[in-house]
Amino acid sequence: MIGLGEVQLFILYILPVFITAFILYTIRALRGPSISDIVLAVDSMSYDLAAFLVILAIFFREPILIGTAIVLALWAYSLDIYVSKYLEKKEMGE
Amino acid sequence: MIIEEVLVWIGMIMVGVGAFADLVAAIGFNRFRNFYLRLHAATIGAIWGAFLPLIGASLLATGCYCLGEYRWFMAGGSLVTAILILILAPAGSHALARATHRAGIVPVEPCIVDHLDEKQCVSGGGSG
Amino acid sequence: MIGPMEIMIGITALAALFSTAATYLAITEKDLVKAVIYSAIQSTIYAFIYYMLMAPDIVLVYIPVAVGLYPAVILVLIRKTERWEKD
Repeated sequence: MIGLGEVQLFILYILPVFITAFILYTIRALRGPSISDIVLAVDSMSYDLAAFLVILAIFFREPILIGTAIVLALWAYSLDIYVSKYLEKKEMGE
Repeated sequence: MIIEEVLVWIGMIMVGVGAFADLVAAIGFNRFRNFYLRLHAATIGAIWGAFLPLIGASLLATGCYCLGEYRWFMAGGSLVTAILILILAPAGSHALARATHRAGIVPVEPCIVDHLDEKQCVSGGGSG
Repeated sequence: MIGPMEIMIGITALAALFSTAATYLAITEKDLVKAVIYSAIQSTIYAFIYYMLMAPDIVLVYIPVAVGLYPAVILVLIRKTERWEKD
């Protein structure tokens, strides 16, 4: 029977891969040449951060931490739409 | 029960594949030379790097008795997040790419042909 | 011996370091749209730090305000006025 100890050990082994990916995403987000590169990097980083938050909630055994992932995914999409509407030279709410 | 153990194993494999895809997407973000090429890496990061580990986390929380009675809540929350990302990520990437090409702020630098706007086509090395 | 607690505190410290870099770039940038998005990066990292410090209620309030509403208001403002900051 596989218990919580094995799952937590697996998540501890998988953790450095996620951390390396987030460091590389942040480097691209901080030195992107244009606005679109920065927004795209923030967008991908937010979606991957949502997955990482759910995995950490399983690691900590705290069910209340799940709700933050939904909020992060939805509002990262809204940032995308704002910048797209600004670049297409439209007013907000059009 | 055997079925819960199978669910936990499938969930762990999906989380591992998702972490590897995250690393691939992050390397691709730093290695591609152009904004329109970086959209490929963004697709890998959103679908293989976020949707797949969320489904895996849902299966893992369903199968693990050790999480207590609240494991159904965790499984449902991660499943809803996975479906939202599956809908939202391609829509956001498409809106951003369309707005960028219409505004013309990023030149298509290692360019062979661009039928939408010939003036943005620059044959050269690429930036970053 | 390095346990899980020390690993989590190290991750939080690394996130704080990157948020400092994002804050510096947001202050010194002359293009105001870029400055808003650097501020959004800083807000995302702060939300992660609040999560790691076990405050999910503050995360639920901080993300809509700092990632959602604040860039929307500032982008409407930049649209009405001008984009580049003068010296």
